[in-house]
Amino acid sequence: MACAVSTERPRASFDLDAAWQLAAQVQVRPERFGALLYHFGTRQLSFLKSPALLAVVRGLATQPSARAACRAADVPDAQLASYRRALGTLAAAQMICRREAT
Amino acid sequence: MADNPATELASEATEDVVADEVLVEEVSIDGMCGVY
Repeated sequence: MACAVSTERPRASFDLDAAWQLAAQVQVRPERFGALLYHFGTRQLSFLKSPALLAVVRGLATQPSARAACRAADVPDAQLASYRRALGTLAAAQMICRREAT
Repeated sequence: MADNPATELASEATEDVVADEVLVEEVSIDGMCGVY
């Protein structure tokens, strides 16, 4: 599925209640510390330094929102703000992108 | 100066940056030489 186009700055205002997905040009390599994400278009690497964040990223495609993906990955409410910023960083790097809700 | 709101805000902002760095780190391989 293609990414939805957005002109907003994702890192500054990441929408936890929107539906997101891993970008089509991104390959995920699980590691002990979390995962490596490589974007074949931008030639950028992102290190996910938490297995839980990898679970969140993987859950984005099947959950109705990023918030739901965090809940499904058992992210504590107290850490939700940190995960929101981390997802915003990934969105700004085009590793994840908005998808149309189904 | 622990009661200074500005100091507290600065401290929180620093903690936010640290938390982001712990969860996600970005690297560009553009310009790197070698085999890949």
